[in-house]
Amino acid sequence: MRTFRILLAKELRSFFLSPIAYVVLALVMLFNGVAFYASVRILQTAPSEGSLVTWTFNSPWFYLSYFTIFPLITMRLFSEEQKLGTIETLLTAPVRTTEMIFSKYVATVIFYCVLWLPSLLNFCVFQWITRGMTEIPTGQLIGSYTIVLTMGLFNIAIGCFASSLTKNQIVAAILSFSMILLHFLLGAFMLYLSGQNNQQFAELTSYFASIQHIKSFASGLIDTRPIIYYVSFTALVLSLTHQVLDFRRWKT
Amino acid sequence: MIDVKNLTKRYVGRTAVDNISFQVGQGEIVGFLGPNGAGKTTTLRMLTSYLPPSSGTVSIAGFDVFRDSLKARKQIGYMPENVPLYEDMRVKEYLYFRAKLKGLSGKDMRERIGKVMDRCGVTDVRKKMISSLSKGYRQRVGLADTLVHAPQLLILDEPTNGLDPNQIRQVRELVKELGRDHTILISTHILPEVEATCDRVIIISEGKLRASDTPQNLVNRLRTAGTVSLEVKTDPAAATEKMKKVVGVRKVAKDSVSEDGWCRFTLRVEATCDVREELYNMAAANHWPLRELARHNATLEDVFVEVTQAEQV
Repeated sequence: MRTFRILLAKELRSFFLSPIAYVVLALVMLFNGVAFYASVRILQTAPSEGSLVTWTFNSPWFYLSYFTIFPLITMRLFSEEQKLGTIETLLTAPVRTTEMIFSKYVATVIFYCVLWLPSLLNFCVFQWITRGMTEIPTGQLIGSYTIVLTMGLFNIAIGCFASSLTKNQIVAAILSFSMILLHFLLGAFMLYLSGQNNQQFAELTSYFASIQHIKSFASGLIDTRPIIYYVSFTALVLSLTHQVLDFRRWKT
Repeated sequence: MIDVKNLTKRYVGRTAVDNISFQVGQGEIVGFLGPNGAGKTTTLRMLTSYLPPSSGTVSIAGFDVFRDSLKARKQIGYMPENVPLYEDMRVKEYLYFRAKLKGLSGKDMRERIGKVMDRCGVTDVRKKMISSLSKGYRQRVGLADTLVHAPQLLILDEPTNGLDPNQIRQVRELVKELGRDHTILISTHILPEVEATCDRVIIISEGKLRASDTPQNLVNRLRTAGTVSLEVKTDPAAATEKMKKVVGVRKVAKDSVSEDGWCRFTLRVEATCDVREELYNMAAANHWPLRELARHNATLEDVFVEVTQAEQV
């Protein structure tokens, strides 16, 4: 536990002292700002179904940040250690591989949460400016941020996995981007198929269609099934990462 | 301190380390030599538990490096080749991070870090970013890291790689000094350094253990233990024939013939006998003008060449 804390502190430190962190933060704030602005415009021009929250979390701008964040924040994790060779000094010190993986994973999750905090501010500021004239449903907010966090857990694990596979950060970023996109598209594709097919198939697809999860959570429906799905897959992918890093030691 | 038994590392289609066994006792300074690609780094990585062996065991201070890995690792200060460091940290910060990882804390840690920074000469750069350090300083930061938890055993993989002659001398002095209270296993290509500092030498080549002895014994054991160089004015072919007949001469090589008739020869001779007197007498008897006759003792370099290149013997 002590080793984990030391490593976690070091990882957080290298996140918040690197310029990349602030570039990503600025980018995500920009995307979220645009998504928010677009939603406000939609609601302003015509009466429409859904609230500010549902519109914001279904906007293309939201997906843009969804797909760019993970490769950017995870590509460095293991690739850099392997490139510099510091993984050798790290793993010959009294440090377990699991401690190393968890410290990096948890630090990234913390940074990810920090990335999303400013977007919450958008809603608070808006409510404050309009003096409560607009309704921002708390349930929908909680739902949206819950799904953003749970999907984040899963996608960060994928990013860790991609980063453990290669010494090259660019390759790691492209790998994790592809895997995340593939998972997303697979869900979307199944959803499309289920639209044409029978009811049973539609129920099955609801387990891994990310787009459906975002929609239902953003409308305030907190469903435990996707949470279990993402968390258990996170565990699986992290254990795969562990295997890869240990296998590397067997091979190189 | 180190007990290696039948250590083997196989990669697909290639055996990097082939059934090596050796011991290193408490307080010894051991030089670990071998040509590039001989399996030195692989062996050291197995000793430090970074790579698992295909078969065989390693124990460090009584702890098996794979079953009691964390305990074994605490006994070792390991500096890998090319000294990997985190570029985005300051020197002091890095040493604090490493010291904490190795289980130090509080006042004890601060004192230790101050001490190793002084000892390795990095106190004046402690606030610099590691990325801005020169090669020599990086090496010293790496060394400070290996020393910080006062390990019993130091394993240094080419610590003088890429340093200038002054820095090499500094590292040598430091190693000598550290050898008083540490066991050291050091891999290097700089043989005079090994001769000057190490109690014992282990030579591996193509993954196999070729020799393990004190530098002096190795030199003495070498069959062609020395060379004699000779410069005379005569007909080279006849002289070669005559010199070959001298007892103790193994090989005669003609190095050069100058325009005014001086011939230079290098003779490989047995370790035990001195052939210079006989050569002088021969030159005198044949009326060969002689202007140089010198004996060169074998060095560790000769041992290295002989042991690692079988066809040279």
